[in-house]
Amino acid sequence: MTEIYTPKSIQEAISFLAAHPDARPLAGGATLIAMRNAGLIEASHFVSLSEIGELQGIAKTGEGIRIGAMTRHRETAECDLLTGSLAVVRQAAGMIANRPVRNMGTMGGAVSNADPAADYLPALACVDAVVTLAGPDGQRDVPVRTFVQDWYETALDEGEIVIAITLPAPRNELSLYRKVARVTGDYATASCAIAMDGDTIRVAIGACGPGPIRDTEAEETLRGHLANPEAVTAFAGQLAALADPIDDVRGSAEYRLALIPRLIHAGLRQMKLAEVA
Amino acid sequence: MQIEGEFNVTAPQALVWENIRDPEIMAGCIPGCESIEQIDATSFRSVVAIKVGPISARFNLVVEITEEIAPETIRSRTKGEEGTRASILTSQNVLRLADDGSGGTDVAYAVDVTMTGRLGKYGLGIIRKKADQLAGVFVENFRKRVVP
Repeated sequence: MTEIYTPKSIQEAISFLAAHPDARPLAGGATLIAMRNAGLIEASHFVSLSEIGELQGIAKTGEGIRIGAMTRHRETAECDLLTGSLAVVRQAAGMIANRPVRNMGTMGGAVSNADPAADYLPALACVDAVVTLAGPDGQRDVPVRTFVQDWYETALDEGEIVIAITLPAPRNELSLYRKVARVTGDYATASCAIAMDGDTIRVAIGACGPGPIRDTEAEETLRGHLANPEAVTAFAGQLAALADPIDDVRGSAEYRLALIPRLIHAGLRQMKLAEVA
Repeated sequence: MQIEGEFNVTAPQALVWENIRDPEIMAGCIPGCESIEQIDATSFRSVVAIKVGPISARFNLVVEITEEIAPETIRSRTKGEEGTRASILTSQNVLRLADDGSGGTDVAYAVDVTMTGRLGKYGLGIIRKKADQLAGVFVENFRKRVVP
């Protein structure tokens, strides 16, 4: 039997988790409840974060845009604050699974679960988001690019929860999220978050390793050469060299590697069309 | 699922063989191995815990050595299950040792694993990555043990 505990504050949630080592935090439950029903996980308690006000909603702050961990995908997909360089996050939210899941799932839950084929992490890596964690020793910030440490392993320590994700203030850039999936709403076979700032791009690849793949040095090398398809292909090759894809029902490792340059070229084409329009 | 790999140990083949045949030493090197006991001349019982992200599992394994050619080849088969939440694991294993020509030993392993039950649902792609990582940890532990 798993009992549900519903704290009203972050502190209450953390104290409860510290006192019950077999308890697990429960965000939207879109993944966790399905995993429990499949017998994959066990917990003495689910600590539901649904009634903690501080974890809700999207707001402008001095540092940028703060997205509370319990913000549902639907809310993120419809958020007017996520424009320009941040549109990629809004688009990724809108491509997660289907309506029931987008009404249920949360950004904090998705980030904590760190599924390598899920949509948020590459988009957040592309915009250099920061994840705020809270635990028995207080709060700390972890850049999203170092948050995923291994397959389904994150910087979260025992008893810690994600409380917010902060995005830098939006800039007047083009950004977009593309994914290849077997059917609409499936996890990505491979995905690509891309933002263009004048003569340079930022690219994060998803579903091709434990966490999103970015190479800021390669991005710098490509500066000023975006119109040269060979330079873009060489850039894609540098990202592919950092990839460690798996073979699974969604595609072979070789297929995933082949998708990386295609996603980047297609993303750039889509941006050029958007620029003209 | 096939898991294969090879590694080198800077110790003579006879010493590597001796260590590989010692269940206590192997138990200390296998990541997650909680216990190992010899049932008879060719069978061992062992408990091994693994964790992949949010999923933890503890397998009760029986390893039976089916062929042994000292000091170069061991073939074995593993059967195991998780306590209450049924996943069943079986594997055929081959381990080969060879002198590397400069006083060390080349070790090659090949394991053919079948997993059914709750962990079978979980996508073998990730399990394979995890297996490769655990093999890396084993090699590190084993080298430290054999070459002090």
